Amino acid sequence: MKHPLVTDLALHASGDLSGWQRFVTTLHCNRCEQCRGKIQGFLLDRERMLAGREELPEGLDWDRLSAEMTANIRVGLAAGECVSPLSSHESQKASLFTGWNWRPAAAIAGLMVVFAGAWSLNLPSSDSAAIGRVFQNITRGSRPTAIGEDRGPVVQASSEGIEFRENGSTLGVSSSGSQPVAVSVSFSGSASARYVDNDTGQMTITTVYVQ
Amino acid sequence: MRIVNTIVLLAAVLGIVSGQTLTPKIVLPKDSPVGLLTYDFSNSTTSARGGTYIVDVRGSLSLRNETQRRIRSITLAVYAQEVAPGGVGSVTVPSLNVGPSETFSVRIENHLLRPLVPGAGGPSVEVKLDGILFDDLSFYGPDSLNSQRSMTHWELEARRDRDHFKSLLKTAGSEGLRKEMLASLARQNDRGPGVQMVRSRSTNVDSDREIQLAFASMAEAPVEVFAGTARVSTNEASAPHFTVKNRSTRPIEHLDMGWIVKDAQGREFFAASTPADLKLAPNQSGDVRQDSALHFQQPVDIRSITGFLAGIEYADGTQWIPTRAALSLPALRDHVPASPEEQRLLQIYNKKGLDSLIEELKKF
Repeated sequence: MKHPLVTDLALHASGDLSGWQRFVTTLHCNRCEQCRGKIQGFLLDRERMLAGREELPEGLDWDRLSAEMTANIRVGLAAGECVSPLSSHESQKASLFTGWNWRPAAAIAGLMVVFAGAWSLNLPSSDSAAIGRVFQNITRGSRPTAIGEDRGPVVQASSEGIEFRENGSTLGVSSSGSQPVAVSVSFSGSASARYVDNDTGQMTITTVYVQ
Repeated sequence: MRIVNTIVLLAAVLGIVSGQTLTPKIVLPKDSPVGLLTYDFSNSTTSARGGTYIVDVRGSLSLRNETQRRIRSITLAVYAQEVAPGGVGSVTVPSLNVGPSETFSVRIENHLLRPLVPGAGGPSVEVKLDGILFDDLSFYGPDSLNSQRSMTHWELEARRDRDHFKSLLKTAGSEGLRKEMLASLARQNDRGPGVQMVRSRSTNVDSDREIQLAFASMAEAPVEVFAGTARVSTNEASAPHFTVKNRSTRPIEHLDMGWIVKDAQGREFFAASTPADLKLAPNQSGDVRQDSALHFQQPVDIRSITGFLAGIEYADGTQWIPTRAALSLPALRDHVPASPEEQRLLQIYNKKGLDSLIEELKKF
């Protein structure tokens, strides 16, 4: 003879078993004294619990018990988050920051360092100054105001010699390695510098024409 | 090909193409009065900056006088690009004294510009003979850069100044010559600020005003300067305009006017010159105008500008230059630049002493 499960007997005792299982279990218990005894035991336990639920244990602080239970529930939820598998949304979000491929970025950063080094080695100081002025203008939100800029190449005569300048930057100086004894500019669009060779005493006049 | 051009242009823009060596092409006419012996341009380089080639021509030529006349001056033109601004330069050696079959050298130190054109190859440079001036003031050469006028002017100045120093040596002795050299050296140290020549006056100046020009009086000058104006603003002088009258008996084709600027602190300095081509018959007047502008490197609060006649060229090619007496006027003495010959003689005195200077004066 096959007996019903103990859990079905317990549910039958509390009246919680569904319709067909309840009918089958009732038929079996009518013919089985053993199962009927178990159901009787469940009914007695239920009656005892119902009788004692009116009285709380002595010294029980219900508020403290409630707080501890709430705390335990939160700890349990947090622990569950730690061990549970990631959802698809969360895993995509995390890959943006932790699972990214750093090698191409490192290679690009290295190339940028090499390029910046080569740039700084090849860039004349005048260009650096010009770039600096551009950044200054950007940060100040102003336009270049120096007279003589933005008017194409201009020729300048100074104690250093003849110098080409464009947009405020020098394009080089005509110089024989020594300071000129005189420089001059002409309204016709030329500049001249005079040099005297220390050894031979020979005078050389260098002129450039911008018009 | 487009890819190659793009790479070249990109590299040039980034300043990576730099320091290429350069060998100029030297062009002398078949009937040139000088022959080329040797040359060395191994230090010449080119580099790209933005859209421009910077051509640094550095070298020297050894030449020989193939004529029976003495050479007084030579001008070599250096072409990196004939039409672009900054593409043409020249080197002149005045005060030469090169006899027949004698050799001399010319050093070239020119910084030129050439537009960077992808696919056109690297920059090429030509060094051409522009002119030679002989001791009888005769001239040879294509004269593309008006070198005849400049070399004749400097030669006349050289003769004037050598005569002055020789006369001083004769009348005041070596001590008189020494005092003159020391005074001249003191004047050389009084230089003005650097100055830029810009092709047109600026449009972004806010305190532009017109001033009347003053002119130093030179009684013996072949032209009289009547009146003139210029625009001045902060650090800039532009658009000089003045009227001249030919009071000589010969037609004039060219004049050269020098300008001395005085600032608010009373400092005076030579600023620039204005060469002007104009045809003036005797007693005829004419106007001279320039659209260019001078921009000073340092702040200059311009209070006055004084002009002086630096030279006149007559229609027959002969020239007038001011005498030393005219240039010793108080308004000019300390500010008119010395001639190339005076500066050369000063350098000899400064480096080698009074005896070497006297020896040099005796050569001419």
